[in-house]
Amino acid sequence: MAILQTKNLSKVYNPDTVPVHALRDVSITIDKGEFTSIVGPSGSGKTTLLNMLGGLDKPTSGSVWVNGEEITMMKESKLIDFRLHNIGFVFQHYNLIPVFTAHENVSFIMLLQNRSKKEINDRANKLLDEVGLGDRKDARPVQMSGGQQQRVAVARALASEPKFILADEPTANLDTTSAMNLLDIMYKMNQEQNVTFVFSTHDQRVIDRARRVITMVDGAIYKDEYRDVEEKAAS
Amino acid sequence: MKMLLSISWRNIWRRPSRSGVLIGAVIAGLWAGILVSSWTNGLINQRINRVIQEELTHLQIHHPEFLADREPQMTIEPTHEIFSFLNNDERIKSYAARTLADGMIQSPQTASGVQITGVMADLEPATTNFHENLIEGSYLTEQIVYPIIIGVKLAEKLNIGVGNRVVLSFQDLQNDIVYNAFNVAGIFRANLPAYDEARVIVRAEDLYGLMAGTPVFHEIAIMLYDIDESDQVAADINRQFDTIQAETWMELSPELRFMTGASEYYMFYIMVVIMLALAFGILNTMLMAIFERTRELGMLISIGMSRSRVFIMIILESVILTMTGGAAGILISILTVSYLGRNGLDLSSIGGDTMAEWGYDAFVYPFITTGEYISVAVLVMITAILAAIYPAIKALRLNPGDVIRE
Ligand SMILES: Nc1ncnc2c1ncn2[C@@H]1O[C@H](COP(=O)(O)OP(=O)(O)OP(=O)(O)O)[C@@H](O)[C@H]1O
Ligand SMILES: [Mg+2]
Repeated sequence: MAILQTKNLSKVYNPDTVPVHALRDVSITIDKGEFTSIVGPSGSGKTTLLNMLGGLDKPTSGSVWVNGEEITMMKESKLIDFRLHNIGFVFQHYNLIPVFTAHENVSFIMLLQNRSKKEINDRANKLLDEVGLGDRKDARPVQMSGGQQQRVAVARALASEPKFILADEPTANLDTTSAMNLLDIMYKMNQEQNVTFVFSTHDQRVIDRARRVITMVDGAIYKDEYRDVEEKAAS
Repeated sequence: MKMLLSISWRNIWRRPSRSGVLIGAVIAGLWAGILVSSWTNGLINQRINRVIQEELTHLQIHHPEFLADREPQMTIEPTHEIFSFLNNDERIKSYAARTLADGMIQSPQTASGVQITGVMADLEPATTNFHENLIEGSYLTEQIVYPIIIGVKLAEKLNIGVGNRVVLSFQDLQNDIVYNAFNVAGIFRANLPAYDEARVIVRAEDLYGLMAGTPVFHEIAIMLYDIDESDQVAADINRQFDTIQAETWMELSPELRFMTGASEYYMFYIMVVIMLALAFGILNTMLMAIFERTRELGMLISIGMSRSRVFIMIILESVILTMTGGAAGILISILTVSYLGRNGLDLSSIGGDTMAEWGYDAFVYPFITTGEYISVAVLVMITAILAAIYPAIKALRLNPGDVIRE
């Protein structure tokens, strides 16, 4: 079942001055449970595509559909609420609220969803345990390593029970061990809980784990391939 | 909401020195503003009380046209009924009837126009404290026939002193001019400089004896237990008698009316000026906070924090930050003002003497009413909200797609 779909998506920045064609006629379909990596050289439009998929930016033409709903037509206030309940985000930087602890950061998004106190507390604890931060619940972002912070971000993204999680270069700032560790966690979530992930990345380690790799060049899809990852990971 | 409060509170302390400076400024601004206002309150209040107690009193009764025309025939009638009405009103502390005349005072050297006030030597000192202004001689004593007390400026002008004789001339009820010699019993220095030159005090019996041969009064001055009942008592008297008119100190004295209004608005204006200055500080602090946190705010909007919540979060941050200073500032002010209110503030060494010449005290007991403290707190709150609106709107305009990129 397609939970994410774009139809002839195009984005032109500065159409009146120096037009930049960041996306050209991109049509993709992503199904539930996929573990997709968007790759391509710098400036090829990966971030632009992810922003469109997450409803953080409006396309110049074309449409984005989430679970059968066209988010490109939504009003801004509705779209924010839609993101809150349907889309999980992991960014490269500035993922966490610096004044909140890991536990509060994960709870925060569920508070925005107006869930019950007990549910929020239990779920935040469970998710932090799952990402291996059971003992760092009261640590604030500055007290954690980059890898730990990204794992909190993954826990937060999962906390809202989104349809899928978008991650723009989640490992770009991490050392190899942390990056592999983060990747393992996401991969496990994908395998065990069927969570859908869409990444953008330069990182070969991430690419190696992806079952589907969409390669972009100059704003257009250059290649879209499915692979057998178990084999890759094992080799 | 609790979450927004908590995030706002913690955000304030991300930059303790910057927030501290603003809190310090709020404290200093409020403290200075409240102190000046409390001093003005005390000054004006003391001035009002002094004018009321010296001569004006809380309310006065006259013939309805007396104040405009000052004709000797415009006397208060029926005196007997009015006196017994006043005696029976429990809100009234005391009253004194006065006989008034406009005339001339003459010494061997020169003459001068004066307002002659005939007072009951026993009742008047129980109602007003004008007699305390006496600096020489004695107050309308029985030992002297036709005693008169005059102001210090008038004494200089006429070149006379205690024991000298002057001649007063004025109209009687038949409009004939009466001349009579009076003996200077005392000299006063009033708090109202104009009095020193233009007022003389004699005994009412002497004055109405010469004017009418029987007791006639032009003015009844009334002191109440509670100044706030002035309007009500005046209204009650006016309802009872239509031959006379009772008016309150507010109606009688344009000066006091102006000052009462001034003391109300003065504090407001001082505070508005201080708040305006603080508003720029708040605006600046909040803009800096927003600017630093652009990406973080973009992240919050991206993950689904509604713009109205972002807006509230920023306003809350400003309100909490400012009110922290506001609460501390008001607390310090309460302590200072109540200390000064008990011990008084003496400004005679820095120009208080000049003020005394104008009838204002150099030694002031400052005070601020609870209502005024509440108004200040509300004003601070409004300032915090208004000053944060622009930064909050700036935060709302953030486009998450742009902000989240590096
Ligand atoms: N706000 C903007 N205004 C103008 N041009 C933009 C804007 N954002 C992105 N671009 C341009 O759009 C193109 C695609 O950018 P995008 O950030 O999507 O690439 P990317 O694949 O994510 O690159 P990287 O790997 O460096 O992150 C680039 O040429 C970029 O310069
Ligand atoms: Mg990018």
